[in-house]
Amino acid sequence: MTELARTIEALLFIAPEPLEVTTIQDITGEPPSEIARALELIGQRHGDDTGLELAEVAGGWALRTRADLAPACDKLRSRPREDRLSPAALETLAVVAYLEPVTRREIGRLRGVDVDSTVSSLLDRGLIEEADKPQSGPTTYRTTTLFLERFGLARRGDLPTLERFELTGPEAQALRARLQQADLIAEAETGDG
Amino acid sequence: MPALDASAALTQEVEIDLFQGPFDLLLTLLLRDEVDMLELPLADLIEESVTPGTDERWEIDAASQLILLLAAIADLKGRRMLGDDVEDEPDVDALAMRDALIARLVAYAPFQRAAQWLADRLRAAEGPRYRRVPPGTAAPVPVKDDPARLRAAMDKMVEAPPAPSLDHMGVRRRPLPELLGRLRESIARLREVSFDQMVADCDRLEEALTLLAALELVRRGEAELRQDAPFGDIIITGTRA
Repeated sequence: MTELARTIEALLFIAPEPLEVTTIQDITGEPPSEIARALELIGQRHGDDTGLELAEVAGGWALRTRADLAPACDKLRSRPREDRLSPAALETLAVVAYLEPVTRREIGRLRGVDVDSTVSSLLDRGLIEEADKPQSGPTTYRTTTLFLERFGLARRGDLPTLERFELTGPEAQALRARLQQADLIAEAETGDG
Repeated sequence: MPALDASAALTQEVEIDLFQGPFDLLLTLLLRDEVDMLELPLADLIEESVTPGTDERWEIDAASQLILLLAAIADLKGRRMLGDDVEDEPDVDALAMRDALIARLVAYAPFQRAAQWLADRLRAAEGPRYRRVPPGTAAPVPVKDDPARLRAAMDKMVEAPPAPSLDHMGVRRRPLPELLGRLRESIARLREVSFDQMVADCDRLEEALTLLAALELVRRGEAELRQDAPFGDIIITGTRA
């Protein structure tokens, strides 16, 4: 371990949340390339056989406990409230994650239903928050650091492209066909008449 | 309904008087007019199709598709029965609405899949735990001060507060029977006493109690009261010789 690696390890140990590289830079005065090398050393030091791992998450770096130790960790500190997210909540979260900053209206227009209660429950859970308010206009929402941590995302926008999830031609066609089926019967009738 | 996916709704076997076989075949025959719509026992068909056979749960896509088809068939049969065979224009509004609905569903589908991706991600990221401490404050700066002053300040804080005074609780008062005895004695001795004199060295409460004692004597017929002027002195006279 280099002196820099030792320093960064200490910082990671006491940091209350994932430590941004720019913060490490400010404290140590070292260039990003050196910091990256030091982080690699720290990562190697915390190998599979140790209790901690170095992870890039939520826009920074964190020493976190290894997944298999969760049961023991949860005995010391009660597990974060992890009630299951409903499909509606997950879909709303997906809309916010891809389109942030986004207004309730925009979410509602996409979802096709009233989203007030879903948005409120996501706010309560700390998964989304109000984005910086524009000078005028409605409040917009964005995902939080907690969201990135919970979903193990390295940073905002660390998501597959939305295009990847788009319906393929045949899939869209199948959807269309299903909706048209009823009309087809009616049209056949018209044709006969 | 035992259908497990949308296509299962169509391949489901139906058994009615007119027809036995998969649902989609019936549909085809109806469309080709090979089965007479007017002969179709619609109620039987509906009951046959949507009555849940066992404790199997309805699969929402299959169920909605089936219901949509049944509704369309019902609509069709209704129109045939009314002889409504005028070639009607396709309903422009309905078509536009359908297109809008399709467009909306196509636009929203990626988010539904993204939600699924997030759900998988959430499961995968469930294990690790992070430090949770309140944002730290800077280390305390050592106080440069005289320890003696610190002690003096400390002493002031740990000093016991003055005990509350209980003086008002310990005052001894002469009880009514004693005052009664004293009054009786004075009357027996002097036959006539002045109230003012009796209470000359008493406080207000004893004064009041003395008056009470005097009234008690009157009630028992042992004395009479006389007051010559309002608020004047009261003369207590014994009635026993």
